[in-house]
Amino acid sequence: MITQRFKELVTTISYKKGIPNMRITYTPHPITDRPAELCRKYVAGNDPLSGQPMLEQIYAGLTKPLSEEDRKAGFLKRDPRPRLLPADTPDRLMEYFHEQGFTDGNPIILPTERKVAEMLKATSRKPDEWVGQMRPSPPHEAWYYTVEMVAVNAVMAGAKPEYFPTILAIASKGVTSLFSSTSSFARMVVVNGPVVGEIGMNTGIGAMGPFARANSSIGRCWTLISKNLGGSGKPGETFLGSQGNPLSYNNLCFPETEDGLPPGWTPLHVQKGFKKSDSVVSIFSGWSMNDIAWYSPLPNHEVIRGWLEHFFSFGTSQATLVLDPIVAADVAANGFPSKEAYAKWLAEKTGTPGWLYWSQNQNRLKEAKAGVEPYASWLKQGEGAVVPVSRFNRGGRITRNTAFMASKDNNETQTSIEIVVTGGGTNTFWSGGDFGYVGSASVDQWR
Amino acid sequence: MKSSVVCIVAVLIAAAFAASYGSAADEAKIVVFNPRGIQPEIRKIPMGTRQPTLDGKTVYIVDTKYPNTKPFVLELFAALKAKYPKTDWVLRDKYAGYMDDDPKLWAEIKQKAAGAIVLLGH
Repeated sequence: MITQRFKELVTTISYKKGIPNMRITYTPHPITDRPAELCRKYVAGNDPLSGQPMLEQIYAGLTKPLSEEDRKAGFLKRDPRPRLLPADTPDRLMEYFHEQGFTDGNPIILPTERKVAEMLKATSRKPDEWVGQMRPSPPHEAWYYTVEMVAVNAVMAGAKPEYFPTILAIASKGVTSLFSSTSSFARMVVVNGPVVGEIGMNTGIGAMGPFARANSSIGRCWTLISKNLGGSGKPGETFLGSQGNPLSYNNLCFPETEDGLPPGWTPLHVQKGFKKSDSVVSIFSGWSMNDIAWYSPLPNHEVIRGWLEHFFSFGTSQATLVLDPIVAADVAANGFPSKEAYAKWLAEKTGTPGWLYWSQNQNRLKEAKAGVEPYASWLKQGEGAVVPVSRFNRGGRITRNTAFMASKDNNETQTSIEIVVTGGGTNTFWSGGDFGYVGSASVDQWR
Repeated sequence: MKSSVVCIVAVLIAAAFAASYGSAADEAKIVVFNPRGIQPEIRKIPMGTRQPTLDGKTVYIVDTKYPNTKPFVLELFAALKAKYPKTDWVLRDKYAGYMDDDPKLWAEIKQKAAGAIVLLGH
């Protein structure tokens, strides 16, 4: 049984799982948070799609004899996959790519044999070498792809051949940028190491904006890869994000401004176990990002702590701070010799707004009301008062979204707060959001 | 006068040529790569045998525990018990979150039950 809104999803998933005639009964949508009286009415009523009485349909699903087809084993039909598409005019091919859902809705560069051959020259890897597999979310099937297939999508995204090893490194992680959940995930990729300068990524003014071909097209390519190589991004079937996420066009793709790091602060890739001389992509998953400069008597590290304490979003137990180099310098000058030291301080000094804590910990609320300490004392301050429990200490509540996606790399940090430095130093801006670290991959291995 | 007429005619011919050349170029067909990856094979699974009646049989109702949907699950359980009292309806929560597998429960159902209803979602 499933709610009627997910008919497309459940019928296509049943097919892909090998049970095309799965007997399904639908309920009205949504079911979450509906009172018992309404649920009783639904159960006594009809399946909203078939019009048949719900209970009788369920019973029939369990007892109606199987057809010959239902009993059959074997293999189900899949769409053929020719390596090259039938010849056509550029205009018609562009329309065809849009109609087939191969694009992000914007024009692409058509992947001709010449352009793909040029792209392939930028790696020592063979065109038919496997790069990885990707799926829209854990219940979905994984699709597989080769170096050549990634090159096709790199051409489409408008990437220069020199960006190709970086794109292959992202593809090798097998993390879709269009994760299928009713929440609308966003992804972020941070590039570190010599490759940043080699391919002309923008580390300065507007580093996170649409001002450099490398930042833009590498990020865009991840979305095309996710759609075309990872089987993601078909609304209703392989993408369910109710509102979608505008960050998904280019996926927050930017480099860390390594020469803007305060003394003692290590680049992200070094934090993750790579050498400074390595070129690395690091992938993050989240939903949203705020961009803030707050002029107050408080120093920046305190303003950020205050924001973090009251920050609320779907991924409320993890955070990534992207600091402009001048903010990073301010923070370091206030007694934080490393990113890790600042992240630890933030986790220790950050409580949880009462309404959020109590809504997520209903049993604690019951105990508080029954006089159990320390909950009772916390509640005495008022249901909205900040509770002295950090959301960002590892070993506490595990972040929700890690279970939703590709497995995390080994990342034994003490907190769920990541810090990256980028920007041009024109003002004391910093960005904060609910992004969590997923993993890193070497670019050098794909050169 | 004569030279300006010649000039206009030449421009018109050049424009016509450019237009027809552009049109021909637009019509030229090209070959491009298929951008899609490789889909896995789908092995068809024969459906489980159905019993003509559920009287005297056990049927599991498996709650995948999507947040805040328990009221519906409980109402369905109560309604099935009331409408089909000769069937033994067993309500069970699936292990862990709604996206986690529960092979132990599937094995138990295979051993003890004539069928199962798995629900629900948002």
